[in-house]
Amino acid sequence: MTFVHQEVWHWQIATYLFLGGLGGATFAISAVLHLFEGCDRKMLSIAVMSSIAFLVIGTVFLLADMLQPLKAIYALTNPRSWIFWGVVFINFYFIAAIAYVIPLLEEWPMLQPIIQKIPQPILGLLERFNKLVALGGSAAGFLVAIYTGLLISAAPAINFWNTPALPLLFVISGFSTGAAFLLLLSMLSSNPGAHAISAKLEQLDAILIVTELIILGAYFNFAMFLPTGARASAEFLFHSPVFIVGFFVAGLLVPLAIETWGIFFSGHSEGKKSTMPILLASALVLVGGYLLRIYVLKAGMFQYPW
Amino acid sequence: MARYGMVMDMRTCVGCQACMAACSTENQTPFWSEKFRTHVEDKETGTFPDVRRVQLPRLCMHCENTPCLSACPTGATSMNKDGIVLVNNDRCIGCYACCIACPYDARYAYEHEDVEKERELYGKLVTHEVPHMDKCTFCVQRLAEKLEPACVATCPTHTRIFGDLDDRKSEVHKLAASGKAQALNQGLGTAPKVFYIPS
Repeated sequence: MTFVHQEVWHWQIATYLFLGGLGGATFAISAVLHLFEGCDRKMLSIAVMSSIAFLVIGTVFLLADMLQPLKAIYALTNPRSWIFWGVVFINFYFIAAIAYVIPLLEEWPMLQPIIQKIPQPILGLLERFNKLVALGGSAAGFLVAIYTGLLISAAPAINFWNTPALPLLFVISGFSTGAAFLLLLSMLSSNPGAHAISAKLEQLDAILIVTELIILGAYFNFAMFLPTGARASAEFLFHSPVFIVGFFVAGLLVPLAIETWGIFFSGHSEGKKSTMPILLASALVLVGGYLLRIYVLKAGMFQYPW
Repeated sequence: MARYGMVMDMRTCVGCQACMAACSTENQTPFWSEKFRTHVEDKETGTFPDVRRVQLPRLCMHCENTPCLSACPTGATSMNKDGIVLVNNDRCIGCYACCIACPYDARYAYEHEDVEKERELYGKLVTHEVPHMDKCTFCVQRLAEKLEPACVATCPTHTRIFGDLDDRKSEVHKLAASGKAQALNQGLGTAPKVFYIPS
């Protein structure tokens, strides 16, 4: 029995997984905020446009890693493959996100000439069903975020990946990065109501980080339980300073500490007293999310029977 | 319908790698990049002075429950009526999902540079015209001519025994059903069609 590091998927795929989770979650959280909190349409349009950009850039990285990217349309052939479902989810996501964001773009005067080229009946429909599309879009965002974990968990010889804990970890981490990105946007917003949204996002991100810590604990406990490739992968990660310091400490514990301080002591409702620490926490969560994808891919080990 | 499989009798393998050479020649696999459809693992085991050198020839196991087929989003990977797992080069997008899914390291990327090198070496006789994920096909082109796979025909020690696993009269059926032969990684449930008789 030998454990061999996978040398198949590298940082390009990690980038795709990260941007997929971030883009999916950003849209899902934005749509939910819109539905239940109401939201500044300008900020919402920036958030959704950014999430579309994340998915587009992620897809470019995925295609760049393929031998024959121009044949990518064939990827809609085998429903037994998670990539097939990924393509379905991402297309569903793009349709929902574009349909959702078009009415919001009317807030931008410089985009008016483009918006006005869309036939009025279509614009009217998009406006009328905006909340319904938001609901569908939040589902699409969730599916895209969880798919990134499902994709790599379908490798029977890579024990560390081949577990339901991984999609769970990726979806929670994706939502944490999405919340952190939206927190960044809301902190930079000049809208007077934005700080109330910041406070909600800060609470949401702190809850997500705590959930991520619990899943990580269960995941590593499972990985260390048997003398398999999963244990070798977990030991590899324990001995990776960038993973421990960069992801675990700087990407999880420090932002959690900052956000906890913000929630209990700083008081967002009184105004934006703690802008800099929250901006730092958000940036750290984003960097940590990316490091998690890179290191989970690096740690993947085939368990060969020879 | 045949259900082709192979038994590796490890009592006789001498690790000469003739199978690798025969396969590379027959299938024009990119030996220049050290990529092979069949590979002989050569390992030292034990602790000095009780050490020995062991070989393990390996190739695509043509699994019944095929993880690479499930992973392939394009349908480029398929199983033919004889149970042989094949790749349609023109349909393969080279996403590497099959490489990740395979528990036997049986697949490799036939990259752009490999296509160019093959054209340089073989001229008009190239068989791989586009980049794709490549793997053993049990020499399906030779089977069509009632010939054994190249690695089987070349093996000087009759280590590789090939045939129809469902044919009760065949040597491969008898060996596979003898209880001496074992498949690799059985716990994964992939049901490989290549079996090993330990040395």
